[in-house]
Amino acid sequence: MADNYQVLEELGSGSFGVVYKGIEKSTGDLVAIKHIDLEGSDDDIQEIQQEISLLSTCKSPFVTQYKTSFVKGVKLWIVMEYLGGGSCLDLLKPGPFSEAHIAIVCRELLLGLDYLHQTGKIHRDIKAANVLLSQTGRVKIADFGVAAQLTNIKSQRMTFVGTPYWMAPEVIQEAGYDFKADIWSLGITAMEMANGEPPHANTHPMKILFHIPKAPAPRLEGSHFSKEFKDFIASCLIKDPDRRCTAKELLRHRFISRAGKVESLRELIERRQLFDASEEKADHPKYYEETMQDISPRTEQEEWIFDTVKPTTIAPPPRHTSKRQKLARIPSGGEDSPETLIQRLNLNDAPLGCASPGPYRDTVRRTPAKDRRRSSANTAIHTPSGAAAIRIPSGMTPTARRVSGQAKQPLGVDMSFGNGNSTVRRFRRVSAEQTPNSTMVSEGIAVADMQPPPTNMLPDTRDENSPPLTAGTPGVSKEVLLGRRTYSKVVDNAFQETYAQTANQAKREALARVAHAWSALDRIDPEGEFLLLKAIVEKAQSDAKLSVALGLSTPAPPATPSPVKQQRRESLAPVPGPISTPTRTPAQSRRNSSFAPSEQSTPTSSPTKQSKLVLAQNNPHLKSHHRRRQSAIVGNGGPVGGLEGGREYGYGGVDERKLPGYVRPGMEHTGMLADVLYSRWMDGLRGRWGM
Amino acid sequence: MAFLFSRNRQKGNMDLVKGTKELVLKCLAEEKPQPKTEEELARNLAQMKLVLQEQEVSPDQVLQLIQLLLQEDLLLSLANTIHKLPFESRKDTQVIIATALRFKTNSSTADEPFALNTIISQRPQLIVTLCNGYDRRESAMPCGGVLREALKYDAVAALILYDEPSAGGPPNLSRELNTSAPAKGDGVFWKFFDWIDKSAFEVSADAFNTFREILTRHKQLIATFLEVNFDLFFQKYNRILVQSDSYVTKRQSIKLLGEILLDRANYNIMTAYVASGEHLKIIMKLLLDERKMINYEGFHVFKVFVANPNKTVSVQRMLINNRERLLKFLPGFLSDRKEDDQFMDEKSFLVRQIENLPPQPVPT
Repeated sequence: MADNYQVLEELGSGSFGVVYKGIEKSTGDLVAIKHIDLEGSDDDIQEIQQEISLLSTCKSPFVTQYKTSFVKGVKLWIVMEYLGGGSCLDLLKPGPFSEAHIAIVCRELLLGLDYLHQTGKIHRDIKAANVLLSQTGRVKIADFGVAAQLTNIKSQRMTFVGTPYWMAPEVIQEAGYDFKADIWSLGITAMEMANGEPPHANTHPMKILFHIPKAPAPRLEGSHFSKEFKDFIASCLIKDPDRRCTAKELLRHRFISRAGKVESLRELIERRQLFDASEEKADHPKYYEETMQDISPRTEQEEWIFDTVKPTTIAPPPRHTSKRQKLARIPSGGEDSPETLIQRLNLNDAPLGCASPGPYRDTVRRTPAKDRRRSSANTAIHTPSGAAAIRIPSGMTPTARRVSGQAKQPLGVDMSFGNGNSTVRRFRRVSAEQTPNSTMVSEGIAVADMQPPPTNMLPDTRDENSPPLTAGTPGVSKEVLLGRRTYSKVVDNAFQETYAQTANQAKREALARVAHAWSALDRIDPEGEFLLLKAIVEKAQSDAKLSVALGLSTPAPPATPSPVKQQRRESLAPVPGPISTPTRTPAQSRRNSSFAPSEQSTPTSSPTKQSKLVLAQNNPHLKSHHRRRQSAIVGNGGPVGGLEGGREYGYGGVDERKLPGYVRPGMEHTGMLADVLYSRWMDGLRGRWGM
Repeated sequence: MAFLFSRNRQKGNMDLVKGTKELVLKCLAEEKPQPKTEEELARNLAQMKLVLQEQEVSPDQVLQLIQLLLQEDLLLSLANTIHKLPFESRKDTQVIIATALRFKTNSSTADEPFALNTIISQRPQLIVTLCNGYDRRESAMPCGGVLREALKYDAVAALILYDEPSAGGPPNLSRELNTSAPAKGDGVFWKFFDWIDKSAFEVSADAFNTFREILTRHKQLIATFLEVNFDLFFQKYNRILVQSDSYVTKRQSIKLLGEILLDRANYNIMTAYVASGEHLKIIMKLLLDERKMINYEGFHVFKVFVANPNKTVSVQRMLINNRERLLKFLPGFLSDRKEDDQFMDEKSFLVRQIENLPPQPVPT
């Protein structure tokens, strides 16, 4: 299957993978291909399948056309039609649309929504970023990442998904909603196209969540807008979903019925191209590269010994013959600890040393939700101008996505919950130590020219049972673990990247030899490996010239904030206090290893067990953090404890795990502010809806 | 006036069903359906769907239409034709069948909705036909959708599990179901293995979801079935799914294996599974796979072998023979999963267990 596609340059990378432009060889058509690394995530396969099955049952000129999908190696390829015009959000960069243009886009969107709604689908994330244009101006709805298929046309949904600014009040209140939610989002999108941003774009996304249900519906203001347009917006933005119009009804609205031809939307595309040209930003297309061979084979573990297959080469001689004798000699109760120990661990018992009743490894997590709402810093964002049929980063706005995962059952059957998917909320045990989360799909690096969003973390409220900082796993020294980590997170990736960037064959070979040697070192002496790296870094630091060149000039602070945060924070604004060297999360490095741009990953592993940077409440910096973060929020999807299964969360109330900007465990220290805000918000909710 | 209108509607329903039936038969008979037939059929199906979706407005109309559908045996014909229908009609057909099977009347006393009940007792072939939808890409998803909904009822799962073509197809559930006779392995249930392994991604994934539903939804039913058909099931499961070349199939089926084994209702199956050294061998190989999620899912099966207090001699021997290797291997195994405390705990527990293994296998 993959042979039928020639993969060209990268269009962008989204929360779920990288999108490439490609050519379908059998037809010569241009396509957008999304590559999803299935190894990169704990448990997304079912969720992704859901998206695909939804896409594949759509066939409409107003919806991006799904072509096929298949698995190659550990990557899932999703092939979609290619839309060269870009997203409406891209096209908004030069400035707001004219009313005539908006009317056309809205009409096409309504036709698309009407199609979806008729077939029992709710998109749930309509916004300019998810509206794509073809080169000829045709308008298509894209990104079905959070869309829902209703089995029964009359049924309702409860799940809290979408993007805050565009969310309908009933979605936020979780009182059950249906197709009408999309109409609200369409109204907000129309305002976005008219004003360049959705209403309340400067409000904190968390705050907006309780603002929307409470405040009167937004209205389009300004004398330069026509009465019809204002009325159209007002018909979309009716807070009572029962009184809100359907897509069909809105298609008969005067504002829509007098809309012009889609061809005139080409003006928007041309405008954008002119705008890009005037910006004179050089594009650096990143080309697809086949994942290269592993230059450093991972720890070579010889095969197991299965005495039937490989009779005793290295294994202790099997004593089949002496078995009988043994049997006779051993008194029935004579077994020592293993048996008794295991007896205690009856398979029906609660799992290992775990006091909580439901110690499931919860894999529900939310994908990174990003925000690029205009803060003063990002007036001139440059994004890849191409647009894919699938989510691309240029249009990143936080999308609360429910990613489900079946919880892994712990050793033994957990009787306390019965079997099956309990909807009771469980607590997850989390380490206090901060580990760059390998399952996190990060987007920051691949689109380096994008404005790196500032962080604003929400507290992990499930963290109450996380132990205090602990020593490493008993039995293995800390250095050994750090060494292993150094290798897997830093050295290996660095080698792979450098290897990928090296063209000369001889140089490549030399590099591969070093990598191989290093892997041998890792195998034999991880402790030494760590010490070696430490020494290298220290030596480099002590040399003034080198340390400047490597970006080590400011000494690393004793309290290293997590890599992700650092990186984002640095690019955001000079942070008072120490700045440490940029490090990458493994997910980033891995994701980019094959097409990494020139940026450098400085091989400093961030030791995991350092104390965290916690701002005291009265810290003077907190206020500036506050201000800086106020305008934007970034949710790093991390593995978030939650419910198993892809089902709707039935219990009442707002579940913070579903909220955008939810923070992965270990990152909570970044959001002292969010802490305050969040608890206030929760209190507000409790009061308002009587939770 | 109102009654006239209603009579019209009733007559309309009758015509609609009869007309559709004719078109479907025509469609089935033709190699390549004529565009005109297709068009007309598409229109009829769309209308039928609309009527069925009017449940709250006119339940009597809906009930009548469903009775007509059953009377004319149209559901089975539709299931047989689905792959030949145009794109939108396939989805309409899915809605029609699903809605009909789901529709509940107040008077019904059976566990299942009345149409489904009728199908189970008189037309079990429909369920088998829906499964066979996985033969084709066009029909896989609509059929799968209907199936998974119908699988909420254990009778449907029983029809699939105990289908025996040589004994006349799916069982008659109005009589006592003979669960003690081992399956021959040519029933429709056994075809799922190939559908999952050999189909294109979308079909395979959908078939797997249905397969999982069959195997996990009705605990008692499946426990009995697996106990009787233990060898056949796990032989196929290991060979076709766990050792599949497809990453997705492999990973998902190892995960499902773990779920099946650790289900309380399947206790006997678990003990039988972990008694086999051959099984352990397959699982230990997964730990060495170069894909870490395969390792991870494999670990959750491996732990059951090690934690089993009554290990068989063959399992003990295999673990003892590999003791040194395991003790060297496990500490570094998936060592980047530090945040996963449960995993780390279980890993160190396994290390302790393996350290404490007796020097030689001890019969239990």
